Amino acid sequence: MTGAMSTRSRRRDRSRDGTVMSPGGRAGRRVVNLAAAAGLLYLFLPIFVIVAFSFNAPVGRFNAVWNRFTFDNWLNPFADEALVDALLLSLRVAAISTIVATVLGTFLAIALVRYRFRGGEGINFLLVLPLTAPEIVLGASLLTLFLSPTLWLFNISFALGFTTIVIAHIMFLVSYVALTVRARLRGFDWTLEDAAMDLGATPTRTFWKVTLPLITPGIIAAALLSFALSIDDFIITYFVSGPSTTTFPVRIFGQSRTATPPQINVLSTMILIVSVAILAVGTLAGERRRRRTGL
Amino acid sequence: MSASVERDAQGRRRARWTPWLLLAPGFLWLFWFFYLPLSALLRMSLSTKPSRFAVPEFSWAWSNYEQAFSDYGSQFTRSFTYALAATSIALLIAYPVAYVIAFRGGRYRNVLLGLVVVPFFTNFLIRTLAWKTILGDQGAVVSLLRTVGLLDANEALLRTPIAVIGGLTYNFLPFMVLPIYVSLEKIDPKLLDAARDLYSNTWRGFRKVVLPLSLPGVFAGSLLVFIPAAGDFVNAYYLGNAKTTMIGNVVQDQFLVQNNYPVAAALSFVFIAIVMVIVAVYSRLLGTEDLT
Amino acid sequence: MTQGVSRRRFLAGAAVLGAGVGASALLAGCGGGAGSDGSLQVSNWTSYIDPGAVRRFERDTGIRVTYTEDINDNNEWFAKNRAVLARQGWIGRDSVVLDDWIANRLINRLDWAEPMRADRLSNRGNLLPELANPPHDPERRFSLPWQVGLTGIAYNRSITGREIRTFDEFLAIDGTTAVLTEMRDTVGLVMRATGADVTRPSAAAAEPAFTELERAVADGRIDAFTGNDYVNDLATGNLAAAFAWSGDVAQITRDNPDVRFVLPESGGLIWSDNHIIPKGARRPAAATEWIDWFYDPTNAARLTAYVQYISPVQGVAEELTRLGGAAARLVDDPLVVPTPDLLAEVAAFGILSEEDADTLDARFAALAGA
Repeated sequence: MTGAMSTRSRRRDRSRDGTVMSPGGRAGRRVVNLAAAAGLLYLFLPIFVIVAFSFNAPVGRFNAVWNRFTFDNWLNPFADEALVDALLLSLRVAAISTIVATVLGTFLAIALVRYRFRGGEGINFLLVLPLTAPEIVLGASLLTLFLSPTLWLFNISFALGFTTIVIAHIMFLVSYVALTVRARLRGFDWTLEDAAMDLGATPTRTFWKVTLPLITPGIIAAALLSFALSIDDFIITYFVSGPSTTTFPVRIFGQSRTATPPQINVLSTMILIVSVAILAVGTLAGERRRRRTGL
Repeated sequence: MSASVERDAQGRRRARWTPWLLLAPGFLWLFWFFYLPLSALLRMSLSTKPSRFAVPEFSWAWSNYEQAFSDYGSQFTRSFTYALAATSIALLIAYPVAYVIAFRGGRYRNVLLGLVVVPFFTNFLIRTLAWKTILGDQGAVVSLLRTVGLLDANEALLRTPIAVIGGLTYNFLPFMVLPIYVSLEKIDPKLLDAARDLYSNTWRGFRKVVLPLSLPGVFAGSLLVFIPAAGDFVNAYYLGNAKTTMIGNVVQDQFLVQNNYPVAAALSFVFIAIVMVIVAVYSRLLGTEDLT
Repeated sequence: MTQGVSRRRFLAGAAVLGAGVGASALLAGCGGGAGSDGSLQVSNWTSYIDPGAVRRFERDTGIRVTYTEDINDNNEWFAKNRAVLARQGWIGRDSVVLDDWIANRLINRLDWAEPMRADRLSNRGNLLPELANPPHDPERRFSLPWQVGLTGIAYNRSITGREIRTFDEFLAIDGTTAVLTEMRDTVGLVMRATGADVTRPSAAAAEPAFTELERAVADGRIDAFTGNDYVNDLATGNLAAAFAWSGDVAQITRDNPDVRFVLPESGGLIWSDNHIIPKGARRPAAATEWIDWFYDPTNAARLTAYVQYISPVQGVAEELTRLGGAAARLVDDPLVVPTPDLLAEVAAFGILSEEDADTLDARFAALAGA
């Protein structure tokens, strides 16, 4: 694509102003900055509403009209027991799915990056396909499978519930993990393993002492992404959740039809704060490592 | 990459086995819970219900597909039109954001990127419900638009296509920002210097150098917004009306309300087929074969 | 690739897969599994019980209860549970609350309901006589009403600018209007407007109502189809008027006096939500005690004071008065304690044949855009 710099364009005069690299010069620069700022503001608009309404004392069952400011919701964040149960279930689902999907996905990524073998292209395609399938189709197909009297090959059938949710989450997370870890592994220098083995390390020791530490940041990134995707998933979970397994998003969907207590906003804001904290710690740690290693 | 097999002198045999052993668990999972369900769905789409509450039986019932096309054409059209609109708007909003972060973020790059992602740590449904509050008939947005005359006194935003497209755009926006950012960030600064030297007009420099190099990001971002947007039913459910329903609403309703599994399965299959065709055509157009 | 490769690969993979499934099953068993502690498993709709009731029931009877608000939609409940019920399995619930029509399906069509234990029904005599012999359960062997409600029209007076008395006036409103996603409520109410008999419904009898609805949706006189969430939209002014359930509106009219509920002049609908013990329930006797407990007038009155629907229990009005305060004021609310005049204006939607139900459900879904 660098071929875009054709001979035709070389005839242009050289620019004297070397600082501005944006459409339309200085004014354009300002416009672009303004557009970006507006974009960020737009991203935060609903967040302001969510946080603000966590301090609302709603009239009636729905927390949608501003009434008056109160700290009550924050003093009783766990007042809605069913909502808390749903959040705990979501956390449990996310934890298990993340662990399993991270292991399976990392295996896939290592296999794809490290070894060249026949069928690699096809494997790649099979791995990407689940990501291009719309969630509604994933949910519908899993529900079809779970509802059919027998799972093919194994003669067992699943009641919709915890197990089916975890199965579904692992399924859609595996490809994400594999691709995320693979992207990180692409720059990995495999000759380091040779060096370790030349120095007398066994393959097992090499893996634990050399390979794993080097690919760990990629794995952690993939795991965090998985956790976030799992805990936020609604459409697939809605199809495969059972009567006694209501996850946080499924609970909110149900409540949006009958009553929305302000605790929904409180818990969401809490999740937001925790996520921001994790993000901040991660960024700072990365920053420090970069400074230390001088990269 | 190919070096690894030869490299490992005593490990030739290991290298032949290991990749498959590493691939096996992940692929068995995908086989069991992605490919097998898809085939179950395909089978279901060709089945008929012998009676109202009976389990559907396989019978080469192509009529399900006929029904999917004849009865739900408008929902299909709407899904893809809305998704296309949302993708285009998301691109317009996301590009400047990604551009400014990549080229002018300096040491605040990571912080700014964090800001893009942070809103999405709240739940998808809660964000959409918040939009419902923002766009409400008694809300500030509507009264502002009414004051400046963009909306008539009895016109609304909620329960219109605008609200649905707006919701779709918002909910999938980070999927557009991040890939564009990644491709912009990769651009070699020397190339930017060269562009500055070559073009007096910065707009031209942008068009000739930066834009083409960011196309892979635009491509990935567009797909990452388009696919979930086309298959969504939550935004149309909260922000739309009876005339803005999308194919996701139909599949949801046929499956979970009407229990009409065969038709729902046929709809899902038609839908995924159209998505695949669009993805294929789009990647041909932009000349990018690699989806990842 | 040799035979050996694929075989070994398969075995290794199967082992990992098995371990994965086993692990999740194990975790399901100790973590999210319902009913593992032997308590009575009760499902109900959101905000459909007074907050102290479960604890008082446990104290009175010594039966431990796990109460879950996880029913949001009759059809959705059926879709999620049908596979297990069809093979006579345990759906994890001893007690559920569902509409008349789906109660009929479970009791009469599919035989998926467990009879109540007669010896545990000490308060059954308090059931209002009008509700003793419904078509879906003529002897009340399987079901007892949880609450009773009316379907009519609710509107926000400050937006409509005038009172609404008929379906035609509803259609003429200049503003956003909604009808209910429950087919029988919406179609039933319009059937009454077209003069059809809702107590003996059929596809033919519903035809004029459908024609009317289809025209109204096409030209935008009806904008949306909603579940209970119309309550919120009416109060916030996003909706000018909606087909509505009495209890919901009883709750908001106190906060927003502009919101009013009316039975159209052509008549409204009356329905009940039924307590049912699904087949496969592990504690049917305890489940019978659970519903029986709510037929004690004091307990019934507390339930009514909170949910503000119509109680199926005799003597609730007196108990509401005794409770005093806001509860006592409910006695004068005809939507909570209906007058005979009001009851004369309502009719119950009868039982549709399965074929007609299929046809009308599909047609109604198309109407709602799905």
